[in-house]
Amino acid sequence: MKNPREVTRSDVIMMIGIGIVASVVGIALGLWIDWFPAAAATQATSIDTFYDVLIIISVPVFVLVTIIVLFSALRFRVRAGEEELDGPPTHGNTRLEIIWTAIPSIMVTALCVYGASVLSDIDAAKADQIQVTAYAQQFAWDFEYTGTNGNKFLTEQMYVPCKPTTEAAGEGAPCVGRQIKFDIKAVDVIHSFWIPAMRMKQDAVPGIVTHTKVNPIRLGTYPIVCAELCGIGHSIMRSTIHVVTPARYTAWLAAKSAAKTG
Amino acid sequence: MPAQLKTAGWYRAAAFTLLGLAFSFSLTTLIRSLYGYTPLIDGAAITIVSMIAVPFFFLVGLGAFDYWFYWASGRPTRAEDHASHGAHSWRDYFKVNTDHKVIGVQYVCTTFFFMFIGGLMAMMVRAELAAPGSQFVDGQDYNSLFSVHASLMIFLFIVPVFAGLANYVLPLMIGAPDMAFPRLNALSFWLLPIAGTLMTGSFLMPGGAFASGWTAYAPLSTTQPLGQMCFSIGVQFAGASSIATALNFLVTIITMRAPGMSFWRMPLLVWANFATSLLVVIATPFIAASQFFVLLDVALGFHFFDATIGEGRQGNVVMYQHVFWFYSHPAVYIMMLPGFGIVSEIISVKSRKPIFGYRMMAFSLLAIVLLGFTVWAHHMFVSGMQDWIRVPMMITTAIIAVPTGIKIFSWLGTLWKGVIHLDTPMLFALGFLTMFTLGGISGVMLAMVPFDIHVSDTYFIVAHIHYVLFGGSLFTIFAGVYFWFPKMTGRMYNEKLGKIHFWATFVFFNLTFAPMHVIGIQGMPRRVADYADQFAAWNFAISIASFFLGLSSLIFLYNMVNSWRNGKKAESNPYRSLTLEWQVSSPPPIFNFDEIPTVVGGPYEYGVPGAVHAIMGSAKPEPVAAAVGSNTESQEG
Amino acid sequence: MEAASIEAADTSHGHGDHHGPPVAHHSSTVDAQTLGMLLFIVSEIMVFGGFFTAYFFIRIVNGNPWPAEGEELPQLIAGFNTAVLLSSSVTMHWALEAAKHGNRRGMKLGMLATLLLGSTFLTVQINEYVHLGFAPYNSAQASIFYGLTGLHGAHVFIGLTLLLFATVRVFKGHFTPDEHQGIEVPGIYWHFVDVMWVIVYVSVYIL
Repeated sequence: MKNPREVTRSDVIMMIGIGIVASVVGIALGLWIDWFPAAAATQATSIDTFYDVLIIISVPVFVLVTIIVLFSALRFRVRAGEEELDGPPTHGNTRLEIIWTAIPSIMVTALCVYGASVLSDIDAAKADQIQVTAYAQQFAWDFEYTGTNGNKFLTEQMYVPCKPTTEAAGEGAPCVGRQIKFDIKAVDVIHSFWIPAMRMKQDAVPGIVTHTKVNPIRLGTYPIVCAELCGIGHSIMRSTIHVVTPARYTAWLAAKSAAKTG
Repeated sequence: MPAQLKTAGWYRAAAFTLLGLAFSFSLTTLIRSLYGYTPLIDGAAITIVSMIAVPFFFLVGLGAFDYWFYWASGRPTRAEDHASHGAHSWRDYFKVNTDHKVIGVQYVCTTFFFMFIGGLMAMMVRAELAAPGSQFVDGQDYNSLFSVHASLMIFLFIVPVFAGLANYVLPLMIGAPDMAFPRLNALSFWLLPIAGTLMTGSFLMPGGAFASGWTAYAPLSTTQPLGQMCFSIGVQFAGASSIATALNFLVTIITMRAPGMSFWRMPLLVWANFATSLLVVIATPFIAASQFFVLLDVALGFHFFDATIGEGRQGNVVMYQHVFWFYSHPAVYIMMLPGFGIVSEIISVKSRKPIFGYRMMAFSLLAIVLLGFTVWAHHMFVSGMQDWIRVPMMITTAIIAVPTGIKIFSWLGTLWKGVIHLDTPMLFALGFLTMFTLGGISGVMLAMVPFDIHVSDTYFIVAHIHYVLFGGSLFTIFAGVYFWFPKMTGRMYNEKLGKIHFWATFVFFNLTFAPMHVIGIQGMPRRVADYADQFAAWNFAISIASFFLGLSSLIFLYNMVNSWRNGKKAESNPYRSLTLEWQVSSPPPIFNFDEIPTVVGGPYEYGVPGAVHAIMGSAKPEPVAAAVGSNTESQEG
Repeated sequence: MEAASIEAADTSHGHGDHHGPPVAHHSSTVDAQTLGMLLFIVSEIMVFGGFFTAYFFIRIVNGNPWPAEGEELPQLIAGFNTAVLLSSSVTMHWALEAAKHGNRRGMKLGMLATLLLGSTFLTVQINEYVHLGFAPYNSAQASIFYGLTGLHGAHVFIGLTLLLFATVRVFKGHFTPDEHQGIEVPGIYWHFVDVMWVIVYVSVYIL
């Protein structure tokens, strides 16, 4: 009778097979799940792709560990009559240890290189910018624009222009917009300026001015959220960013500027 | 009664507590009158001074300093009479005791007490979050609940429970009769209930408990009501306790190992606590400093974090985060490395195999300690710090996955072809392996700056820390408590209940925390009492799962209490383990060993014919035995 | 200051039923109390490290002038104080050497001189606070100044307390050429306090 503790070639093949299938299913599931809100900026697209890569790399690692744990628990568990049995006295295997040091090192190095390149990508400044100053205070956002007449005005709702690339110019239509550059200031405590749909987040810190940039690519209305605990009203500290057609933006800007002057 | 007030104990402690209150009141009022402040009697000032002073009076009353007073006053220090050593009845657990085994049990019971309080708060948080809108607490109370929950779990449960378990088994494992400084050990323990009382009691403060998260970022924390001081001061006591214990472990490990117990023959739990203690000694002072700053800003009007005081004289807000995370990132390794040690012991014994790559296991611990100090700013990628720091911190953070990976693969190597006993401690150890891998993977994801920009301060972070601290640390704690339960209590736990506990915990843990990854990426920030309707379904499901997770811990509680009282008597070595703590009776004799044993081989030589780790009794190391030791060592890969 | 108790406890060994703990094996040439003190000092250095981080951020990163406008730091008085504290390290060493040679008079004089110099330092420091003309709430720099020097002052106080205990025991006839840890270990701490002062003095007053 075959020794149930023996690991045969077919066992290994079976584990590899199950591992591949599980990884493929896991990756497919990871890519299929609708993790992110709709991408409304080029930054969002880069980060979403990056996340897909992370999923593709992570799932096999988890599958590998889980399969070995499960296989060991099933195959090597103590059976009747084995209560006094000891395992083989293996103390280590230098080659294996080098492999499992080297491969993860290579993997994380590659990830870091990719991560750094995505970072410089999403941080890249464009020549054509709209500058907006965001003021954070307990528990509201204010945005300071430069009006058509050169005067500055404050608004609680953000509007940014984005030129539709298709005929349809409704909610969700693709578009190309100018880069919005935020200077972020905090009046009282630390807040964090976050547009989930654009994936960009930056703390507002008392005493310093922080910056972030987004390049809108999708018409629509998206929440602006405070992501840093700022006190009793933290969860209601929200605002909205409206990505609109250049025509609507110009009209809004003119109205606001006029209201300010008036 | 006067006699009771003279001897160390609870009566004297109560009297001294009153004395301490009177002292704080007079001191504060005296100083205020000298400076001519009005009003003369200021409740807040008195409260803050009391929170600092009264604990010392209490400890003096309880007797934690008696011996040192003898020493300081130049009286001949009494030859050790061991009056305060060992426990003969349950009452002895409520006294200042110098026995590391008693202190270990005191630690574990106290910390689990605070775990249940912290867990209850988590249940209340989940109840509030079960539906959008406001259920039954307002914003401030909600902020208090999760702040106190996190602070208790971190400073009063995970960090000290490991110190407690190690307190019990570490001196036994290295063949020492006690810790190097038994009285300091007792003091370290008694600082804990003080810290816990301060943090839990902060709910009684005017304005409510501290509500700026366990991170207490300035300047939010410096503008909070009085309850915030309970955190700032409570952390000082917990931190002092932590540092003192770590000193004690380091000195014990370095100077009190049994003959023949070289560093390369130490069980990995000892190695793990050696590494952890290094981290504690070096890093913990930084959180002390950060809370000193907050305390000084609030109580004495300092301006460490005031950015509005004027150009050329303003404080720096981001500085708080640098100082805080320089402790608090190493702190996650402080909360994980001892668990690595526990799991190494369990997996080796329960697989009946030597640890795979023992030396690499030890080296990877040290590598984590070193790297642990170079990664703090990965918590600050969106904090407004200098941009150039981000990429170096991303690289160091990602690299730390390598030594951690080595450990995980080495455990898998230990399992492979072993004879696996799938009882409760082993189930928790294997549960830890898989869940911690998930937590590690999401950790590497978070190291990646672009992804972190999106998910920092969201529920993805909440999911990650719970996979690391619950699926990681807490699983190893459960594993360790079940594993050493027979040694600590002399009785066996109920295996069936233990397995039910494991499966309930494992399933509901995943149902609770896995969905948090999704809602985090979808855009739900953390620390919010209310949220957008789109997250309602997920949150409801999470809340229901979390209630079952909470209930599952009651199985554990019942099992522990009932088994301690009525469990089957435990043998001295029910697992046929080689390490020293199992070579003495269960529970061990009052001074651990009659004679210090002699160590002649590695601690995990399972399956090696005739292998012995240590010779009990006064046997002198024979040349043959020494040769066996060097043989087994040379076999290591 | 207590590890010795375990080793010293085996006097009753072999006497009937009373069985003390076994003698712990010494696995290191380093003495437990000295090692404990050194590790504690590592911890203390890190506390100062936290405060120096604050100093670095407020002075260098913020680019604030040092000291803040309208504030002045008395370099000379503090320099005098530095000399006082440094000489107390010498007298401390003298006391320890005296203890090693069994010179009781030297021990007493050395410890008293150290206590006296240390107290002088504290008195001058407090006097300086009184006459500085600015308070911690005047500026972040003032907060750092009071924070760092105050933290150091607290350490001088702790050091003096430890030395006071040792002095009491010296006068009660404790310590022999073989048994003088009670002087040596607080002495290590005292030297640390002195060295730390030099760093604080240079970075706060001079630079």
